Amino acid sequence: MSTDDPNGRRSADTLSAEQREALAKRAADIGAKIETAKTRHATPHGNGRQGDAMARGLKISAELIGGVVVGGGMGWLLDKWLGTFPLLFIVFFLLGSAAGMLNIIRQAKRETTPPAPSVTDDADRDNGDDDK
Amino acid sequence: MGTTTNNRGLAGQAGVDDVASGGGGHSPIEQFALQTLMPLKVFGIDATITNSSAFMMGTVGLICAFLYMASKNANVVPGRLQSTAEMIYEFVAGTVRDNLDDGHEGKKFLPFVFSLFAFVLVANFLGMIPGFFTVTSHIVVTAALALLVISTVLLYGFAKHGFGFLKLFVPSGVPVWLMPLLIPIEVISFISRPVSLSVRLFANMLAGHIALKIFAGFVGTLLAAGAWSVLSPLPLALTTALTALELLVAFLQAYVFAVLTCVYLSDAVHGAH
Repeated sequence: MSTDDPNGRRSADTLSAEQREALAKRAADIGAKIETAKTRHATPHGNGRQGDAMARGLKISAELIGGVVVGGGMGWLLDKWLGTFPLLFIVFFLLGSAAGMLNIIRQAKRETTPPAPSVTDDADRDNGDDDK
Repeated sequence: MGTTTNNRGLAGQAGVDDVASGGGGHSPIEQFALQTLMPLKVFGIDATITNSSAFMMGTVGLICAFLYMASKNANVVPGRLQSTAEMIYEFVAGTVRDNLDDGHEGKKFLPFVFSLFAFVLVANFLGMIPGFFTVTSHIVVTAALALLVISTVLLYGFAKHGFGFLKLFVPSGVPVWLMPLLIPIEVISFISRPVSLSVRLFANMLAGHIALKIFAGFVGTLLAAGAWSVLSPLPLALTTALTALELLVAFLQAYVFAVLTCVYLSDAVHGAH
């Protein structure tokens, strides 16, 4: 039952033990290369992880301020126009805060979905678009 | 303005009070003052050239000159200039691909995003040179850029989707009775985009340059403060570290501006989900 033949290789499609080993080694090498290429694409933008994290922080910090300022401003202007001072200001301030939080949640959600690889394949194209 | 050390000489203790209260002739916000370089009126419109508009033109001129030089002798194997330009292009193209669209529509907006990125980046970096004016530290400039982005989003969105673009404000999968609450929130969230886009860039550049100026001012003050001058290397080291940080922030702000431009444009391209 042993495939080992006393005369070495018997036909073209049976491989000797060391050939098998060499093939397995090559496969493992290619696998490792693919892995390193993948991790390189995971941080695509030259500045590395730290810069990327900082960019995220800078991006998110202004979102809340934007929502609150716009909400408060709109309420204040509407109040000035309609002469109902504190009422609309309060309502729109709260709405603005909610909008700011919504902005932050959206940003954070976008950030935590894995980045699309720079070369897309069919699998990515199927589910790459549904994060919003 | 811009010189890192205050040479107020032997003013001694007076120097400490000066810097603490904003620093006499070397106020940390003096660097942001507009100066008229050349009064100009074009067809009744005030087009006076100030240091700000001069630096804006310089920024654009520098970008154009760099890209022209880089692409003049284009080779298959790029030289130093050409590969720098190609790196910037690849970087922006990758950002557009990841955040906007990786097909034809992304390519359509690439020149727009590239111009914005290059302008903000070069303006930020020019501002890091001592004595130079930082264009992006004025909210009027960043707000103009943000309005340009958001009007592109609106025009393209309505042109492509018609009134269906308004579905952007109607979140899907939400019970009807919540709509009166959620639609105003979505509208405010949309209006807050240009606000946060412009405030983020302007506030970071303004704050960074003020911090640099103040800490650099401490060096001069301490040097003039007798025995305390032993401590003067401390703020100097901090100023050096801050300069490095500010260079990083200058790049990151340009990058964030480009990314958010892509994210907002992708709403116009892809419509409501």
